Amino acid sequence: MKNAGRWITFSVLLLVVIIMLIPFYLVIINSFKSYQEIVRSVISLPTSLNFDNFVEAFYRMNYLTAFLNTLLVTVTGTGGIVFLASMAGYQIARNNTGKLAKIIFFLLIIPIMIPFQSFMLSLVRVSSALRIYETWWGLALIYWGCGVPMAVFLYRGFCMGIPRELDEAAAIDGCNAFQTFRRIIFPVLKPVNATVIIINALWLWNDFLLPRLIIGFNTSHFTLQLQAVQFRGMYKMEWQLIMAGFLLTLIPAVIIYLIFQRQIVKGMVTGAVKG
Amino acid sequence: MKEKARRMRLIAFTTPALFFVTIFIFVPFFMTIYYSFTDWDGVRSAQFIGVENYTRFFNDLNATRALRFTLAYAAAFVVLINVLSILLASLLDSKIKGKGFFRTSFYIPNVISLVIIGFIWQFIFGNVFDSLFELTGERLGFLQWSWLGNRDLAFYSVILVSIWQALGFYTIIYVAALQSVPSELKEAAAMDGASRVRQFFFVTIPIILPSITFCVFLAIANSFKQFDLIFSLTDGGPGGATTTMALQIFRTGFGTLRQLGYGSAQSVILFILVAIITALQISLFRRREVSM
Repeated sequence: MKNAGRWITFSVLLLVVIIMLIPFYLVIINSFKSYQEIVRSVISLPTSLNFDNFVEAFYRMNYLTAFLNTLLVTVTGTGGIVFLASMAGYQIARNNTGKLAKIIFFLLIIPIMIPFQSFMLSLVRVSSALRIYETWWGLALIYWGCGVPMAVFLYRGFCMGIPRELDEAAAIDGCNAFQTFRRIIFPVLKPVNATVIIINALWLWNDFLLPRLIIGFNTSHFTLQLQAVQFRGMYKMEWQLIMAGFLLTLIPAVIIYLIFQRQIVKGMVTGAVKG
Repeated sequence: MKEKARRMRLIAFTTPALFFVTIFIFVPFFMTIYYSFTDWDGVRSAQFIGVENYTRFFNDLNATRALRFTLAYAAAFVVLINVLSILLASLLDSKIKGKGFFRTSFYIPNVISLVIIGFIWQFIFGNVFDSLFELTGERLGFLQWSWLGNRDLAFYSVILVSIWQALGFYTIIYVAALQSVPSELKEAAAMDGASRVRQFFFVTIPIILPSITFCVFLAIANSFKQFDLIFSLTDGGPGGATTTMALQIFRTGFGTLRQLGYGSAQSVILFILVAIITALQISLFRRREVSM
């Protein structure tokens, strides 16, 4: 009886896994087909392992440029969020009884309640007024603003648990506030840094709407997602090419995920539960 | 003197963060409120027109349809994603082989961009279903339905893909919650003669209620913000049937007419809607949590 239950559980889980993975299976098999093959059937296996589609998609998507742009945005954006939010979260936690700290904390986290779409129209105007419109670094700077609130919340929560004796010992050793933060506190923040980096890097890497608004049609600053959407629009019927392009676009994140899956899942859960 | 130094430190460490939040969130947010009372089009200087944009919204069939769709989509998504992920999480919480593999696989759609997921499913609903229809000897009629071309079906297709994409994320949060339920409590309930189903509703659910509050909040916030997935899967179609508020704002503001003032009014309406709903939801769930 108990065994039967276990079998049912196992079968249901297996079925869900199949449903979760079939779309990727379809992307992979179709990216190796020739046009003639894909027209004949999209569910049969490819007759040979032909990498022509990948080579073609790589060039036509301007993959290398798009990859580098995405990497620059993700690294600069995430780095800035970590830097700004960890400093703010640390000092807010150290002054948490003070009125000023409470006001600052409120101002920094209240944007969590404002949906991005309710200020995106004017954001484009702000970005063109600041002359950062249609640039990858302008996009990264905007992510600093949009990513900081959630990160401040996480850093403050974590810093509340760091004993003040650590600061005091550093002060006795002659460290000023910034040195204390850089040498003593920041290394202690490792677990929360991991969470913040994971949440934000995944978001920045995969985001579409904000890059679409800020990069506009400046193709030399296109990210992978913008490039993938444009590519899809250009080759409407040539699904074998589109699938190869999609696979190239999604593979970096999947590889990173498979390597760091334990940390990523843990980071997302802590971020979600604490948030 | 010491107090003053503390204040200076606080200000020095928080000003950079406040600066970026101010220029990229508060400034555009208040600009949007201001522009929602104007006829701003991005070219001419904006003229104040009072509440015209707001009255226009409620007489605009496309805009109200987007509002209705967003509400229906959010309701369906919030309920389905939470029910299904709690069920899946309780299956994963049992003593079973290959748990790690299951978790890894469920989570994969979460590391892929929503635009690509939308396009992949477009391919599945069209080309793959056609191929399967031929392969099965043209017997399975549902494979030939117009999953993205029919107004009613498109609603279900959008929900289906949204659930498929988000299931792993919510499941993993619930797995973490379920692991925090002490097994002694369940054993005690079992000794008192409570069935598995009763144990689930009267022991497990009350204990994981904070996680449910949180997941419902997250599901509401995410469904009201849905843009990328719909943009690529249906592009809001057919005939605007799956256009979300977010997509409607984007189209109104950046379409050929660039009705930025009117789009700003829609933005403000979206903000008020989300604020009211999340406030209601949190106070409702919190009251329950306290009474437990």
